[in-house]
Amino acid sequence: MKKPRLGFFKYSCCAGCEFQVMYFQKHVLETLKNFEFIFARMLLRGGNPHGPFDIALVEGTITEAWQADELKKIREKSTLLFAIGSCAVDGGIPAIKSTMPELDVESKVYADITTIHSIRPHAIDAYIKVDGYIRGCPPGERDLAEALSSVLSDKKPDFINYSVCVECKLKGNVCVLVAYGMPCMGPVTNAGCGALCPSMNRACYACFGPMKQANGPALARKFKMMGLSKEDIKRRFTEFGADTLEFRRALDILED
Amino acid sequence: MTGEDIFRKFKKLIPKESFFSRLDSLAKKYRLFGPVNIKNQTAFREIHTSKELFMEYKSTMLSPGKLFIFRPKEELFRFHKNEGIKIEELPPVSEQQIIIGVHPCDTNAILYLDRTFMGIYKDPYYEARRKNTMIISLNCTNVSPNCFCSSVGSGPFLKAEKGYDMLLTDFGDRYLMEIKSKRAEELFNMKGKKAGKEEMEIKRDIENSVLEAFTKTIAVEGLDELFLRNMDHPVWQHTAEERCLSCSNCVLVCPTCFCYDLIDESSMDMKMTRRIRQLDACQDMRFAEVYGGNFRQRRAARLRQFVTHKLNQTVQYGVYGTVGCGRCITWCPTGIDLTEMAIEIRRSEKDM
Ligand code: SF4
Ligand code: SF4
Ligand code: SF4
Ligand code: SF4
Repeated sequence: MKKPRLGFFKYSCCAGCEFQVMYFQKHVLETLKNFEFIFARMLLRGGNPHGPFDIALVEGTITEAWQADELKKIREKSTLLFAIGSCAVDGGIPAIKSTMPELDVESKVYADITTIHSIRPHAIDAYIKVDGYIRGCPPGERDLAEALSSVLSDKKPDFINYSVCVECKLKGNVCVLVAYGMPCMGPVTNAGCGALCPSMNRACYACFGPMKQANGPALARKFKMMGLSKEDIKRRFTEFGADTLEFRRALDILED
Repeated sequence: MTGEDIFRKFKKLIPKESFFSRLDSLAKKYRLFGPVNIKNQTAFREIHTSKELFMEYKSTMLSPGKLFIFRPKEELFRFHKNEGIKIEELPPVSEQQIIIGVHPCDTNAILYLDRTFMGIYKDPYYEARRKNTMIISLNCTNVSPNCFCSSVGSGPFLKAEKGYDMLLTDFGDRYLMEIKSKRAEELFNMKGKKAGKEEMEIKRDIENSVLEAFTKTIAVEGLDELFLRNMDHPVWQHTAEERCLSCSNCVLVCPTCFCYDLIDESSMDMKMTRRIRQLDACQDMRFAEVYGGNFRQRRAARLRQFVTHKLNQTVQYGVYGTVGCGRCITWCPTGIDLTEMAIEIRRSEKDM
């Protein structure tokens, strides 16, 4: 069998996803063995960016116009394209700035903004159609392995879509929200991490982003009843989900 | 199933110490599970000595039946692909185990799971573990605010006569021990005062005083029809919208919820696939997904499914889907209460 040609592209992010795929996850050797790496900034210091690609993995938030242009071209040259990591999937950390006007953020960070060409941050599916989402910050190993092995066997990947609570209960953790009153984001967050934080007796902070069926306002209301301040609730819902409808909707309840 | 063999149904008063030391002597041959205290909570865990047990517990987040008989997640078998496909069966569970201190609600929940997994279709994984598990039930004397077993006939004292091995009632420094199976008779043939009419009266008195401690009740008659008439009642919509997170905690902690999902996970070289079974939940969007999606797209429809499956549907097995343990209420992050929803519907019919 010919090895699938893989391209790994990076936009605004920490590059942690590429490091996760190339160095840290359980299946590094099999990944390197089964795929032909055509383009990857970290592993190959670049490579051939023109493709074509059987599979493209794209990490990072789109925060500059050139990124959107390049992304569209990659889409055209790729049979399958997966968003990998919370930045590409949901906007992630870089999307926090969408809670403020662009100019305010820019002048907070840079003394001279004449060289800055930043635009409103978005997940990559705001610009192109995506074939699947490998969620997490860094991406969860289970969904990553599912994506790569599905490409190899030419099947539709079966990604996890339920809440962190499901994994938490499967593990038998005592619920930190109900039992200890911690403001856990697990009920609205997509699983995939194995309920890492509640297993360490701390609240989930939603680094896997919202699950599709999340009821953000209901959890925000619960947090309000628990006595969390408006600012605190806002931070929890915009740390990883500032560019998502599911979490943005939660802020509505803070108005009244 | 246990309890079918002929045995001497003895009832005795046994000093707690002797009961516990008997358990300790069984630890070599059996895996023991029971309620233990962890950070202000009680949970069923494997124990190595009876000293770890906390028998005065109120409730646990997860039920013993769904931890040690029907497992939350388990690998069923593997298949290997070379020239053809070869199935590798995983060795069936042969370990003998004893679960200690199972409350009546949870014992009834196991009997409910039996109807699903050992009814017309036998689930070999469940059946093997069920047969290898001794259940030592404990009548409940510690009622929690969310318990309503007394309304659905599953507690606080156990009425079922078979399907488990032993029933304990707390008599202070002694247990009233009622033997319900042959293997329990063999293992726990211990010295103790034979219990007679007098002890049974004391037992009834304890039961009556426990019954007074209940704060949550629900009138169950006519619930089936009530729900059928109110499939579009506003309570479904407003509870779902305002409070339900679709997080599935309710289903996962419910001792009678039996739905599961099958997941195949393949190795990267495509040579080996594991088939895994894990709990599924009707609150989830992907539950029972067919081409085009889940039939219950609306959050309210999914919430209604849970509540009605628990409180009506005596048609399914002739018993309620709920055993009144109150777990779904306690562990719902927003405290959604199925009994309150039923009461709200009933009240609105009266107001009409
Ligand atoms: S600890 Fe958090 S993730 Fe776990 S069940 Fe509770 S709310 Fe859900
Ligand atoms: S529990 Fe929440 S914050 Fe922690 S790793 Fe998982 S998704 Fe991220
Ligand atoms: S636990 Fe509560 S919030 Fe979560 S799905 Fe069940 S009813 Fe809804
Ligand atoms: S529906 Fe709720 S009260 Fe009834 S058995 Fe399940 S968890 Fe317990």
